[in-house]
Amino acid sequence: MHSLFWKFFFSFWTALILFVVATVWTTSHFLERTRAQHQQQSPQQRMLELVTEGQAAADRGGIEGLKIWLRQIDRRRAVPLLLIDGTGADLLERPVPARIEARIQRHKRLPDHTRGAEVTRSRPLIHLDDGTTYRLIPDYQSLTLGRVLRRPQAMLMPLFLAGAISALVCFFLARYLSAPIRRLSRATQQFALGDLDQRIGPAVGRRKDEIADLARDFDHMAERVQALVQAQQQLLSDVSHELRSPLARLHLALGLAQKKAGIGVHQDLERIEREAERLDELIGQILSLSRMESREYAPGKGPVNLVELLDTVAADAAFEAGPRNCKVVVTESYPVELQGIETLLHSALENVVRNALRYTGPNTTVELSLIPDPGRVDSVLIEVRDHGPGIAEDLLPRLFEPFVRAGEARDRESGGYGLGLAIADRAVGLHGGSIEARNRPEGGLSVLIRLPIGAITAARAHQA
Amino acid sequence: MKEEPGMNRLLVVDDDTELCSMLQEYLEGENFRVDMAHDGDTALQMALADVYDLVVLDIMMPRRNGFDVLRELRVHSNTPVLMLTARGDDVDSIVGLELGADDYLTKPCNPRVLVARIRAILRRAANVVDASRETDSERLQLGDIELQPGARSVLRNGEAVALTSTEYSVLEVLLRSAGQVVSKAELSERALDRELTRYDRSLDMHVSNLRRKLGPLGDDSERIQTVRGVGFLYTVT
Repeated sequence: MHSLFWKFFFSFWTALILFVVATVWTTSHFLERTRAQHQQQSPQQRMLELVTEGQAAADRGGIEGLKIWLRQIDRRRAVPLLLIDGTGADLLERPVPARIEARIQRHKRLPDHTRGAEVTRSRPLIHLDDGTTYRLIPDYQSLTLGRVLRRPQAMLMPLFLAGAISALVCFFLARYLSAPIRRLSRATQQFALGDLDQRIGPAVGRRKDEIADLARDFDHMAERVQALVQAQQQLLSDVSHELRSPLARLHLALGLAQKKAGIGVHQDLERIEREAERLDELIGQILSLSRMESREYAPGKGPVNLVELLDTVAADAAFEAGPRNCKVVVTESYPVELQGIETLLHSALENVVRNALRYTGPNTTVELSLIPDPGRVDSVLIEVRDHGPGIAEDLLPRLFEPFVRAGEARDRESGGYGLGLAIADRAVGLHGGSIEARNRPEGGLSVLIRLPIGAITAARAHQA
Repeated sequence: MKEEPGMNRLLVVDDDTELCSMLQEYLEGENFRVDMAHDGDTALQMALADVYDLVVLDIMMPRRNGFDVLRELRVHSNTPVLMLTARGDDVDSIVGLELGADDYLTKPCNPRVLVARIRAILRRAANVVDASRETDSERLQLGDIELQPGARSVLRNGEAVALTSTEYSVLEVLLRSAGQVVSKAELSERALDRELTRYDRSLDMHVSNLRRKLGPLGDDSERIQTVRGVGFLYTVT
């Protein structure tokens, strides 16, 4: 009973039974009411009305008029009405049931005086101009389900009721089945976007079927993936922590060696020192990356002036760019401020600009721009464009993962670790923004940083 | 300093004994007298003996960590303290400066940089000491604050306020330029004796310590204002 199979089975079955029962019940109810009307509410009077109607039609249109009238009546009413002429045939040439024929014969055989005055008055006869007489006879026995079903006017109410009931059943059934699946799909999407805390268990509640099993399996998987990811981050962070002590000693040993060393060794020691400092930097980057990934960044937020930020980064980078005769220029900006962690935003932008400088061709310019995001009112768009070779399309989506490099050999030479863009990505992510890279049609890479700005800071920037 | 004039006495506190002995050797090569302590309790005992010109204090130690030592030390003494914090742990450096450290360096660090920082702090402390000998006349008074050059302390409404020598230097620079904005770069060079580095929170922390210790002005307005993106301003009423 708890399995999805039985849920499907029983709910469809129930819906079908309900539909049939509702149809049969309303139809029989309708039939009974009709019959009751004909039998109890003075049938003679109703017949008389019909006869008067029919006589009027005959007077107006002759036999053809009578036929039209009879067809209309037949379509409208559940109980068939026969119009029998002197030979015992129906006006519309419908078959006349044997018992009706017998009744007519019985009537004919009775002498006139025995019929009584009242009966004569109400005798259901319609006369035509040519003298033919038709007798109007209701055929209650032919009131069948098939006949009723072929007359939609008569069936409107029961059909509507049955439809409504089954629609209701199906609506709740569909919702019952699809809601948890939709929940599951939402959770999966969120999970894929990096929210590893997604769990569905609570939403499923005490449900026990295949969908609930699936939800629990999802939770299981999520837990496992989360544990793995965290273990990986933890390992990276732990290793880096542990590396710091020997590195600190290495620095000191190196300092001592430099003091004691003769001139010939100095160059080698300097080289060792440079490498040790690179190691320092790498470890620092790994640690700040893992801290950002675990979202335990403590320093409070404050107002960050983005124009200032762009100018500072551009000025610092321009200094580095000098030797290759490159430039770093802010081409466009407008006064705007946001609540954020300045050090993080600075390192994000700096890493992106450094990456651009690494790949832009000699004698070219790296351009920075800051504009209101054309797509969204409450965010800004920072773009960094270089004039380099761009990046292979299949690498673009992975560009912001740690240790992914575009150009293996060249990169090491220029001192990259493949962590800069990952740091930028996490830093922007911590501010609720997004970062993406795309190859520009005219060549070179363009990195777009989208940052949401609060309503208050946007207003303040407006006044400024 | 008593036994060998001209030689500064340092206390190096780190639980890594190997690192400590190398540091000792290196610093002795730079003409310092160096003692070592490998845990917080010993360090505190030695530091409280008050014979050291400067304490190099590692924050990450088992049992009584660097923060505890610093907190305890500051209750009794204003001996300059240079903290060694884990690289990238901004929070540690902020907490340390708040507790009254004079400066911080991230570990691992280049020993040359360490020596430069130590020298800068010692110079600052020496200035204070020198000034007390010579320029007693040059006392600085502004509002309720009276700066007694050299006394390592400041009088507020005649009562002494305990400041570290670094806080004293910062206050002195700000007071001498009272009513004017002093840029962070200038303040760093004049008060800390070193160039301003990016993301350096030291000045902000020293200034906020000063605000806390000195309290607001008589009319409840901020004594030292932060001029965003520029620097600091000592308010003249």
